[in-house]
Amino acid sequence: MEAGSAKWQRNLFIASFIIPTFVFFCIFTIYPVAKGLYYSMFDWSGMAQTKDFIGLDNFKEMFKDPIVWRSIGNDYFLVVGKIVGIMVIATFFAVALTRFNFKMAGFFRSIFFIPNVISVVVIGVLWNFIYNPQIGFLNAFLSLFTDEKVTITWLGFTNHTIWMLLPPAIWAGIGFYMILLIAAIQNIPASYYEAADLEGATQWRQFWSITVPLIWEQMKVSILNIMMTTLNGSFVIVWIMTEGGPDNSTQVMGSYLYQMAFRQYHFGFGAAIGVLILVLSLITTVVLQRLLRHETVELS
Amino acid sequence: MINGIRNPIVKFVFYAILILWGLSVLYPLLWTLLDALKNNDQFFRHLPWALPEMPLLWSNFSYVWDKYNFDTYFLNSIVITVGSTLLGLLLAATTAYVLARYKFRGSGALYLLYIASMMVPFILALIPLFFLMNSMHLINTKIGLILVYTSSVLAFGIFVLVGFFKSLPKELEEASIMDGASYFGTFFRVMLPLSQPGLITVAIVNVLNIWNEYIVGTILINDPKQYTLPVEIGVMQAEMQYRTEWGPLFAALFFTIVPVLLVYIIFQRKIASGITAGAVK
Repeated sequence: MEAGSAKWQRNLFIASFIIPTFVFFCIFTIYPVAKGLYYSMFDWSGMAQTKDFIGLDNFKEMFKDPIVWRSIGNDYFLVVGKIVGIMVIATFFAVALTRFNFKMAGFFRSIFFIPNVISVVVIGVLWNFIYNPQIGFLNAFLSLFTDEKVTITWLGFTNHTIWMLLPPAIWAGIGFYMILLIAAIQNIPASYYEAADLEGATQWRQFWSITVPLIWEQMKVSILNIMMTTLNGSFVIVWIMTEGGPDNSTQVMGSYLYQMAFRQYHFGFGAAIGVLILVLSLITTVVLQRLLRHETVELS
Repeated sequence: MINGIRNPIVKFVFYAILILWGLSVLYPLLWTLLDALKNNDQFFRHLPWALPEMPLLWSNFSYVWDKYNFDTYFLNSIVITVGSTLLGLLLAATTAYVLARYKFRGSGALYLLYIASMMVPFILALIPLFFLMNSMHLINTKIGLILVYTSSVLAFGIFVLVGFFKSLPKELEEASIMDGASYFGTFFRVMLPLSQPGLITVAIVNVLNIWNEYIVGTILINDPKQYTLPVEIGVMQAEMQYRTEWGPLFAALFFTIVPVLLVYIIFQRKIASGITAGAVK
């Protein structure tokens, strides 16, 4: 009897600590995700009762929609641009602030992270001011070197505007990945570098032969993380800076989902775009993991 | 450390790059403050980097606070951020503790489920969430946002705190149980206080994320009385096309940035350890 009651008490304790969280999580995370998959198979305006099951027709329609293809292209443009831009700059800063004995390394590190604590909405507004054709920084700066005042509408070109979204995205992302790589570099025993120094290896050589192999895991995590956050979250910066325009030229999957669902009330179609984002990010994760596979060097 | 750059030219170039990048971060913060003190006339007549003219327009700040109702949005943001951070922490810590310390059928699967959910794009849940909240009459309520934000931070909290609880010595609990404390007493009186560093790390990261959140806020809230700061910034910037009030817009940005900047300055180390823990999924 005694043992049974103790067991009962233990189970009660476990249940009371597990169940509330789980119920909460089911209602506000699992259920909506599952329901999103379900909605993607309906033709549904969201308002009326008319919710027709149309199977995979949303997906067929989606692949015939040139804006969807453009969105996918833009998403991957941002993924590749951000991976290259962020990884090169963040790695450079991480190495500079750990290996090169710079004075005030801690100060720079703290400063560089600041964009990561600011809301993407605020970042979008700040960069809109930089790009503003009449009163923006960029035109005013370029005007210093020309006879006539420069009045380029930086966010107004259908073919190139997506390029203008890359600098804010990279600028805002550096700090996070720099901190991650700094932690990795600090885990490398100093003796490796000391030995390399004694043998006369250059900084450049040390970087490629010691640093990169030993932080490769964290670089891989960073690249995958950039890919995921870009495919899932580019929507905010796009929506604030261009609303997907001009003429849908900067539309990404997330912003197109928002526009289709919450502006044009094609909720089924919007949900289908959501499924597309999920599928593409899973596929890309697998592909990237393959591409980035590399002999992992373990610290002994 | 024997490393370091010896060539003075290379060293100079590296310093220049570091300083330029640092300026690219600090200068926008400074110009947010300076531009909040200008009127429209100054924006159009002078270069963007010109200093504000005297007298400084401090009234832009009170204007945004009163006329744009930033007092309301500020309060909304604080209530929602504090509410969802505390609730999220309680739910994550309890589950994380059990997952770290007790084996039961399905415990491994449950942990995996939480971790795996971090891989699923949240945007997929957006449309159903809107209708779910609508049917629960939680659109345009602070409670609605608190519930959704709480759920969105659970997985991260569980992930970090499971690791944290595992790192605490088991003897402490055994001693506490020996002394006759209940499971609950052991958790709340012994384990929770001990895990304070982990709890603070999770709390800070969550505060920053929730304070800055825009997508869910903009979809679940359309009543201006219930806006959070980022939602209002988005609305203000869209209105700029029709009524240009650059000074007040920058004052609004200033109000939104300052709280997170203070949190960052105070808790820098905690944030860094949260990142390194959270990114290694």
